[in-house]
Amino acid sequence: MTLSRLPQQSGEVIDRTQPLTFTWNGRPATGFAGDTIASAVAADGNRIMSRSMKYHRPRGLLTADYWDPNGFVQVGDEPNVRSAHRLLEQGLTVEPQNVWPSLEYDVKSANQLVGRFLSPGFYYKTFTRPQKLWPAYAKVLTQFAPGGTVDIDSSMDYFDKRYTHPDVVVAGGGPAGLASATAAAEAGASVLLVEHEHHLGGHLRWGSDADRAVAAELERAARAADVEILSDSTVTGRYEDNWLGIVQRSHPIASERLIKARAKTLIVAAGLIERPYVFYGNDRPGVMLSGAVRRLINMYAVKPGTRAVVFTANESGDAAIADLERAGVEIAAVVDGRKGEQIHSTKGSQKKIEQVKVGLGDSYVDADLCVTAVGWTAPTSLLNMSGDRPVYDPSAARFFPAQTPDNVLATGGLVGDGSVEELVEHGRETGLLAAGRAAAIKHRLQAATIRATDVSGAEPEMPIDARGALERRPHPELYRSTTHGIVDYSEDVSSKDLVSAAKEGYDSVELLKRYTTATMGPAQGKLETVNTVAVLAEARGETIAEVGTTIWRPPYAPLTLGALAGRIFEPERVSSIQPWHEANGATPILAGQWIRSEHYGDPQAEVRNVRQNVGIIDVTPLGKLDLQGPDTPKLLNLLYTNKWSKLSVGSVRYGIMCAEDGVVLDDGVTGRLSENRWLMTTTSSGAGTIWEWAENWLQTEHPDWDVHVTPVTTAFTSINIAGPNARTLLARLTDVDLSSDAFDYMHVRTGAVAGIEDCIMWRIGFTGELSFEIHVPAGYGLHVWETLMAEGSDLGIAPFGLEAQRIMRLEKGHFIVGQDTDGLTKAPTTGLNALIKMDKDDFVGKPELGWSLEADLPILVSVQMSDPTIVPPEASQIVRPGTNEILGRITSSRYSPTIEKSIGLAQVPAELSAAGTEVTIVLTNGDRTTATVMEHHAHFDPEGSRLRA
Amino acid sequence: MPDETASFKSPVLNTYTIVEGAELQLIDESSKSKFVIRAAPGTPARASLAQVFAGSRRSNDVLIAGTRPDEWMLLGPSEPVHRRIAELPEGGHVSVVDWTHGRAQFRLTGTAATRTLEKVCSLDWSDAMMPDGAVTSGSVAMVTCDLIRSDVDSTPSYLILCDRSFGQYLFDALIDAGDEFGLSVG
Repeated sequence: MTLSRLPQQSGEVIDRTQPLTFTWNGRPATGFAGDTIASAVAADGNRIMSRSMKYHRPRGLLTADYWDPNGFVQVGDEPNVRSAHRLLEQGLTVEPQNVWPSLEYDVKSANQLVGRFLSPGFYYKTFTRPQKLWPAYAKVLTQFAPGGTVDIDSSMDYFDKRYTHPDVVVAGGGPAGLASATAAAEAGASVLLVEHEHHLGGHLRWGSDADRAVAAELERAARAADVEILSDSTVTGRYEDNWLGIVQRSHPIASERLIKARAKTLIVAAGLIERPYVFYGNDRPGVMLSGAVRRLINMYAVKPGTRAVVFTANESGDAAIADLERAGVEIAAVVDGRKGEQIHSTKGSQKKIEQVKVGLGDSYVDADLCVTAVGWTAPTSLLNMSGDRPVYDPSAARFFPAQTPDNVLATGGLVGDGSVEELVEHGRETGLLAAGRAAAIKHRLQAATIRATDVSGAEPEMPIDARGALERRPHPELYRSTTHGIVDYSEDVSSKDLVSAAKEGYDSVELLKRYTTATMGPAQGKLETVNTVAVLAEARGETIAEVGTTIWRPPYAPLTLGALAGRIFEPERVSSIQPWHEANGATPILAGQWIRSEHYGDPQAEVRNVRQNVGIIDVTPLGKLDLQGPDTPKLLNLLYTNKWSKLSVGSVRYGIMCAEDGVVLDDGVTGRLSENRWLMTTTSSGAGTIWEWAENWLQTEHPDWDVHVTPVTTAFTSINIAGPNARTLLARLTDVDLSSDAFDYMHVRTGAVAGIEDCIMWRIGFTGELSFEIHVPAGYGLHVWETLMAEGSDLGIAPFGLEAQRIMRLEKGHFIVGQDTDGLTKAPTTGLNALIKMDKDDFVGKPELGWSLEADLPILVSVQMSDPTIVPPEASQIVRPGTNEILGRITSSRYSPTIEKSIGLAQVPAELSAAGTEVTIVLTNGDRTTATVMEHHAHFDPEGSRLRA
Repeated sequence: MPDETASFKSPVLNTYTIVEGAELQLIDESSKSKFVIRAAPGTPARASLAQVFAGSRRSNDVLIAGTRPDEWMLLGPSEPVHRRIAELPEGGHVSVVDWTHGRAQFRLTGTAATRTLEKVCSLDWSDAMMPDGAVTSGSVAMVTCDLIRSDVDSTPSYLILCDRSFGQYLFDALIDAGDEFGLSVG
């Protein structure tokens, strides 16, 4: 056991007073609060954390942070957890992923034996032919799929969403980021700082005591300046106009929260990410980056080995040597890359390093730890997303930003090197610049927004960038040794694979990436991109600058689909009577956003009751528009195809509306309530559309018309009272004279119902029965409904739902827009040509309808099935007998309890529209049946005597 | 007048524990009177309302809000609202519609009100962009709402009005959003 817990370290983040127990790989283990899962596993003496994706090679910690490609584990039912980032919790069950039978002895590691045949593109080349064998291939390949196990029965976590509009967002909580956030906040900006890791301070957190003191002071200053700080959070993407996606992982109430931030200025202070070195055996457990050993020792008090070889080319490697010595790790050799020294390879078992070969000779050094410090990758992702194309500087061996827009600034290690003081000063200047630019942008926004606080004076000048530059310290270009090794640990792609692919012709970096999948794993190129480019450059005999790099796109770090989905908003609408429906056994049905009552147990019985007694239905969703103004008839004449100029007060008229192409848009009735007020009803689904339609015509074509259109759909609870006893029932609740002489069919009255004033009563009907549609101020809708039910008890009253209404309207032959019509159905198809008044000056759709009336359009007809027991599904095809030639379709169909027949509406060609024509219908099982076209749309009471009773 | 046995039913019918004086409160004000007035340019009614679009002011217990360039809402207790409506001068094209029953109205009050709204609405709720008195409309939990900032004793407070049929859904969505800030139904 070479890894162990160290005595207390001055900068440790673990709380030794809070021991935590968990299981790792089926065995009990202990850690402390503040540990990551990986640090606790390592402190427990475990060197192997995982197996690699393709070859199942044992892997140990490499970076010991969020980006560690070797630390993916299964935690309970959650797969693919980043163990080097996720904090330990009491009682966790942590298991390695995709190993069998165990992490130590994984049978799938046999893949290495055929590794020479698993070259890049192996899958593309091998499993494409013969195509019929693909299902078999897939079955086998699935067994080798990497990653953890998804438990479909696991409970759904809660995900949240937030929108925010800070003046400045700072991506990165290192010294430069903290300083910039504080400076911006002190300059008056609202600032949101987002830090990827759990702790602020960046590299200072695993540095010296003095470093940590600086970090603490910077954090204190930021909090004092009222900077909003989100740790364990990541700016995942930057989009147009500084629209930022931020995933907040540590939140008290949500697994993850997706924050959509519109920042006036973005500061990118993402720091630098240490780059692995490519050499033979670089993926053996025990090979670590200098930052990893420093984090393990200083933050988690974990001794990473006993005897180390350190390959260093920078201060981080030097500091790692000091940390290792302090931790009691013997330094077997220091290989200084700045002096041209090299490491060649590691030697040992697959499970651990035993020796490191240094230099070019045969000098093997015994060691169980090999630490590399060969340079940095600048995570310029957010700058890429801002349009920047970073430029490679060979003297510093990394990429630097080139040109960013005014509202995006970079600071810290991304732009240069320096002492902590220099980084802080650059951050401070950046914060002030960002605040100044945010103020100018904010002024512009306020001036353009009428509701905003007034801003006086001229817009402030956009401050120019007068920041001092950070130096670029020389760094040797160290990417690959003389040997080949792993480049992409996540995808098991080696430098040899990359060279091989380049030789095959995949020698552009974008092609190489896609062909080999290098940089496409969970680390998303943070560790691999520059090495990939360097290996390709070497293969092409060019420089890194000449090869260029891939473009980093969102997300900066992977996030869950749950976070992207966020809170699920599914608005639902209910009428004021909904509590009654629920209490009385209604079967709900979702109609658009409305929850409606489909039936109360037996829709056929509901039909019979309406035909014999009286029923009431909640039709609140029916669209309702209040129209006021002297030019309302003009609007009605424009929108409807029929005439409205002479509609008298107290009268109601039916009409259909068409779009400009003559296609039926909606239908309904409009009544004139007073000299200056009309109430228009639309279909339930058309309520919003027709309001916008009316406003569109008024505002764009006829702004001179004095008409106001106000939606009042739910200002009223709407109830239809239908049946022979409807009049008797309603008369018990109102003083309005309901006699046929005083209140004839297609008329409207206003008055009190059940003591509620300002009710509107129409005498219209969709069911074919005597019916009154009453619209009651919604706050009293339930009262009126309950009163109707009580007062109608001796009249045989019963509620009826949508299904019964659908049956009755079909018995009556009324069509439904959107069901019996579609996006191609022009008005003449409905058979209501009498309502298309071509002698009007103008109406929407008139030019198109002019020729449509003469055209050979489909006709909507009523049909009765020859077999009353067969109800063809809606949309069943009507075909030419003996063939499969489609001639039309059934648009509506039901069994009619009233006439005890199977009835329907259908769209058929004119040749089949004559009464008595037999049509052939194809059922879903392929059988055929026939139906007869009827003379009238109405199957029941075609004269309308019942509704006019 | 309504039947004596009839009482106005709010769209919010679920039962909640009422907490007086909570730091963050959501109050159902759906029973208050709400009228929408549209007045053409140059009409005396428009001059009488004297409130520009996107702003609001309180006048004798009536909140006058400029909700659209030619549209206002009058909100408040029934009697003063009806009196203010009756006082509107005649002349020109003016329409008045009673929206009392058509709109749910909620008041969200507290220092965390803005943070609560940030969870369900993408608008910029900062003092600069949405000062006291500001009026706008937007999607709250996917429901189109009229939104009025109407502070109470210098504490941020927002009136949220939506179509009545969405009332229960939106009320619950706001409670859910405010839960982490200790929201209570007042």
